[in-house]
Amino acid sequence: MDDMEFVGLGNFSHLFFEDLVFWGALRNNLVWMILTLVFMISVSLGLAMLLNAKFKGRTFFRGLFYFPFVLSGILVGIIWRWMYNVNFGFLNEFLSLIGLDQLRQTWLGDPNMALFYVFIAALWRGVGAPMILFLAGLQTIPEDVLEAADIDGASRFKKFFSIKLPMLKETFVIVLATQIIGSMGVFDIIVATTGGGPGNSTQVLASYMVQQTFSFANMGMGAALSTIMLVIMMIVVIPYVLFTTKER
Amino acid sequence: MKKIFPAVRRYFILILLSVIWIVPAISIILTSMKSRADFFSGMGLFELPSQIHWANFTNALFDANLLLYMRNSLLISVWKVPIGIFVAALAAFAITRLEVKYPRGIFIYFLIGMMVPFHVALVPLNAFFAQHGLIDSFLGITYVYIAFGLPFAILVLRGFFNSIPKELDEAAYIDGCSRVRLFFSVILPLAKPAIASLFILDFLATWNEYILASVLIRDRSRQLVTAGLMNFIGQHGTDFGLLSAGVLLNVIPIMLVYVLLQRHFVEGMAGAVKG
Repeated sequence: MDDMEFVGLGNFSHLFFEDLVFWGALRNNLVWMILTLVFMISVSLGLAMLLNAKFKGRTFFRGLFYFPFVLSGILVGIIWRWMYNVNFGFLNEFLSLIGLDQLRQTWLGDPNMALFYVFIAALWRGVGAPMILFLAGLQTIPEDVLEAADIDGASRFKKFFSIKLPMLKETFVIVLATQIIGSMGVFDIIVATTGGGPGNSTQVLASYMVQQTFSFANMGMGAALSTIMLVIMMIVVIPYVLFTTKER
Repeated sequence: MKKIFPAVRRYFILILLSVIWIVPAISIILTSMKSRADFFSGMGLFELPSQIHWANFTNALFDANLLLYMRNSLLISVWKVPIGIFVAALAAFAITRLEVKYPRGIFIYFLIGMMVPFHVALVPLNAFFAQHGLIDSFLGITYVYIAFGLPFAILVLRGFFNSIPKELDEAAYIDGCSRVRLFFSVILPLAKPAIASLFILDFLATWNEYILASVLIRDRSRQLVTAGLMNFIGQHGTDFGLLSAGVLLNVIPIMLVYVLLQRHFVEGMAGAVKG
């Protein structure tokens, strides 16, 4: 701390104008957010629809899909890092087992695809949380509304888009906001799988911030990155918090 | 016939997905049985070793210090969780029951704290801890954990307290009950289900936290369980059996708690939504 000098906005201008890793990290956060919004939400909503009906084993399935969410991102990252292991990992071994040797991949070693593979691990871990929220939302839809639609001859498709989706509006706000905020702050699972590599290809703002601050002892740059993250998050957080605390 | 088909299709999709969901567990269990030599002698993942390499488990617990890391995390959680919930309950009581000024503003202030992730506070926290000799101190990190845990607990408890009818307060006051008594003898006992859910969720959040644990605790012997697990990658990067045994030893206790108390997990999540 003692040998620091005041640089004004120097750290910010360095990040914005000279630092390609920063832009790569920001892009990765945005890619992650889009992947989350598309896959996390569609898979969790699909699961919630499947698990909303009454049938044998429903509690078991709910429990199974929610369970990985109670494990830490670090633990899940370590598990999937091993799944993706090039020499001995489950995926490559399984491909060989079923005779598809030519499909063996370098997985997390592939700079173009690594982020996507890490996202699969995050999807495995995280899908249960929005699923529970959607299930809670689906339960608030009154039975008689759906019955009335049946009598009027509405198709399943029509029922989904014209009744269920609009009635899940509040749930969607919560899910979207929490997922966007989560995507901007993603860290643990990246650190435990790739650590930001190979060649910064999976670096995100949070991991880059920690690297700058603690590996490179560049506190000023770390603080500048934190500030940028905070500002981006507040764009989502403030309207969301005002929405949830609205007097009803 | 028409009724059976969707049911079959539902089970088909669910079972298929379940298999995908269970695959990582299978991978870890198979690996934890094998020694390092098994892998490097060319044994495939799906072949079973002639005998289970139990040493992976004992090595993970003792040589790789997993037991110590778990003890450290437990030591912190035992203080953090009850204190945090108690303070949050006091705050939620004030917001919902006492005529404080700007209850919504206070609530918003806490909620924003929940949305902001740990990382943005990392640089100043680290500097503060370094200046005051709090690095490696369990007391220091417990204090930070309590602070970061408050917003979620307040969110859940406020929602629950709001659902307790205000008429109860009036009845209690008429009977000569003080505010302190109202809190301890009426509100807290009624909020037991919410508090039970919070205990579990808060414990898990503490147990699973990584970023602060990795930065604010540097002494190897004082590390918490998540940061300790990361050591497994670094030090034992090639010993996959040991790594998998360590993972299993972490997952099994969580899974037991989860199966026993599943109801509370879901209620806690739903409680946070009702707000």
